Amino acid sequence: MSDKSVPFVDLTRQFKDLEDDFVDIFKSIGRSGQYILGDALGSFEEEIATYCGVKYAVGVANGTDALVLGMKALGIGVGDEVITVPNSFISSVGAIMNVGASARFIDVKNDLNMDPTKIKSAITDKTKAILPVHLTGRPAEMDAISEIAQQNGLVVLEDAAQAIGAMYSGDKVGSLGVLGGFSLHPLKNLHVYGDGGVLTTNNKDVYEEVLLLRNHGLKDRSTCVKWGINSRLDNLQAAIAIRKLEVLDELNNRFREIASIYREELEDIVEVPVDTEREYSVYHNFVIQVDRRDELMDYLQREHNISTAIHYPALIHTQPAAKSLGYVEGDFPNAERIVKRMLSLPIFPELTKDEIFHVVSAIRQFYK
Amino acid sequence: MSVKNFLPEQYESTAELEINHNYLQGQFSDFQDILQKIGGVVQKGDFTLGRAVGEFEERYAAVIGTKHAIGLGSGTDALFLGLKALGVGPGDEVITTPFTFYATIGAIVTAGAKPVFVDTGEDYNIDPLKIEKVITDKTKVILPVHWSGKPCEMGLISEIAKKYDLRIVEDACHAIGASIDNKGAGSFGDFGCFSMHPLKNLNVWGDGGIACTNSDELADKLRLMRNHGLVGRDHCEMFAYNSRLDTIQAVIADHLLNKIDHITDSRIENASRLDEGLSKIKEVTIPPREKGRIKQVYHIYSLLFERRDELQGYLIKHGVDAKIHYPIPMHLQAAAKKYGYVRGDFPRSEATANTTLSLPVHEFIGEEHVEKMISLIQRFYK
Repeated sequence: MSDKSVPFVDLTRQFKDLEDDFVDIFKSIGRSGQYILGDALGSFEEEIATYCGVKYAVGVANGTDALVLGMKALGIGVGDEVITVPNSFISSVGAIMNVGASARFIDVKNDLNMDPTKIKSAITDKTKAILPVHLTGRPAEMDAISEIAQQNGLVVLEDAAQAIGAMYSGDKVGSLGVLGGFSLHPLKNLHVYGDGGVLTTNNKDVYEEVLLLRNHGLKDRSTCVKWGINSRLDNLQAAIAIRKLEVLDELNNRFREIASIYREELEDIVEVPVDTEREYSVYHNFVIQVDRRDELMDYLQREHNISTAIHYPALIHTQPAAKSLGYVEGDFPNAERIVKRMLSLPIFPELTKDEIFHVVSAIRQFYK
Repeated sequence: MSVKNFLPEQYESTAELEINHNYLQGQFSDFQDILQKIGGVVQKGDFTLGRAVGEFEERYAAVIGTKHAIGLGSGTDALFLGLKALGVGPGDEVITTPFTFYATIGAIVTAGAKPVFVDTGEDYNIDPLKIEKVITDKTKVILPVHWSGKPCEMGLISEIAKKYDLRIVEDACHAIGASIDNKGAGSFGDFGCFSMHPLKNLNVWGDGGIACTNSDELADKLRLMRNHGLVGRDHCEMFAYNSRLDTIQAVIADHLLNKIDHITDSRIENASRLDEGLSKIKEVTIPPREKGRIKQVYHIYSLLFERRDELQGYLIKHGVDAKIHYPIPMHLQAAAKKYGYVRGDFPRSEATANTTLSLPVHEFIGEEHVEKMISLIQRFYK
């Protein structure tokens, strides 16, 4: 067994790089007593709106809530259907079910993202929205999706939880649909030290409705115009996010740099993800597609101390939770084929050159 | 309509006032301790559902006197998820009080159910004698609110629930440490729901909540529901929610839990002094206290005052941050229109909302502040 080891992710490395700043933030917010909907949150919302190229951003408790609140603001609820993909984190669908709507799945392309050619056949008279997921940080095929949405009077909700900074035809994700939902979960490219999320939109009505809904439906301290929930990005986490947003492009460049090394070094032996001309992916995950996946995964861990992961090993339509939706294995052949072949390699900005090449050579050794 | 972000005002240091409701800036004399503990979380990197969350949950359950406590995103979520875990949904009715914070009703409505209001008693809490009249075959849950940290009459409420086979969700967001005959508020119902919002007796540095229960089954369900319905990383048992107490916030809450007795005792002491000093003023109505049997923790210290608005202005002018919690009861809010209630439906709640005024009693209020408040109020009514 190799004495080198490569973790799948190590959050402490980034903390160390910015430690003094974070200690200052904990101190100053801690002492300010301004913990809820404070100034840091307001500044962060402005900055991230600018970053994503939208008019409005709202900080909420987590990425799931961003989608939930967005759908509520659009009036999507009981009796409605939302078209999405079966290969995402469970919360994309959880959000749809939360508001009382029903998820309709369609298959994905080889790049793991929604196949726009499959949308039409899934549209019924109950369909209200299309919810593409920019999985792994790769933007979905937004021009085709938007066109179909427009033709059929549907709105597009972007699940951009994994894709902050990604671009499609030069435009940032989160600015391409009626709204975008981002997660600031600790494992995301832009993250905080707990749960957090952001909703982006150019639509003033959606913006104002979400502002209300995230804070009990309160117009002011004494007037409740609509029963809402409590879903606010903590001011403390917003202050952390502001600091991280300053370095996000740098971090995303590093994700892309690592991706391109993996790609160059591995493309002759495994299937590697590639950006098309229109895509600027931020490689939240670097997912290869391989034969003998489980064996490889096991080999990397056992022989080389390399931790890899599968995002996500069970497709949503096959989960016990999805039983009532009535799908069966075989419904989404492409997603079902890929799910058995995919493997996420370690990728995070602080990964060293040594570690990257340790991963590369171990994979090459396996397929020798 | 434009929505103003009005909350920061609530937290701004009102430097011109001498006696404030907000004491958060003075809360941490041992600031380095807490930074060090947060550092420990960072070292482990377990920012969501980390070890510290489990440790805090165990301690919290012991304080309340329940078998389980489950850390959640907020007190609102505790109520909402508690109702969902009990199967409450569209078509169901939940009986509660109109004299509460908006989140109580928001949680009921978000679960898909209809709030049915019952008027309050002299103690600002739901009047148990009026509950039976509004029970229908759609009623699923009674949701009493331990307003201001005064526990409701849980004996009577539990009897009614038993008689009609209803469940109980306690809104104990104000009531950590409160008790009836030494049994903790939040331990009577199927769920006891607590908030750790920054202005609560036990607070964190953001939003946080916790739900207590004695049922293993309900605890399991809530743990599932707060984390996307996931059993393990890859197996989704039910589509659910994301509502987790941040690990960092659990560390802060755990740190402050060491001081909760001091926090509670200070509030009780200040409240008693105010009660005594104000009891002789005929324009002031102090609610029944029942000391001995009932321990109330005065998250809010509020009395009923004649010429309330005038008094509030007078107190603020003289450096006392007097606040109204809250001026409009829930059945008269614009959001409640569709339930068809009108002014006059709940006379006691309406009268309370019109005359209630809260004075600061937190642990940084000293005897001299209490005396100043008493003499100001005496002077006002002279």
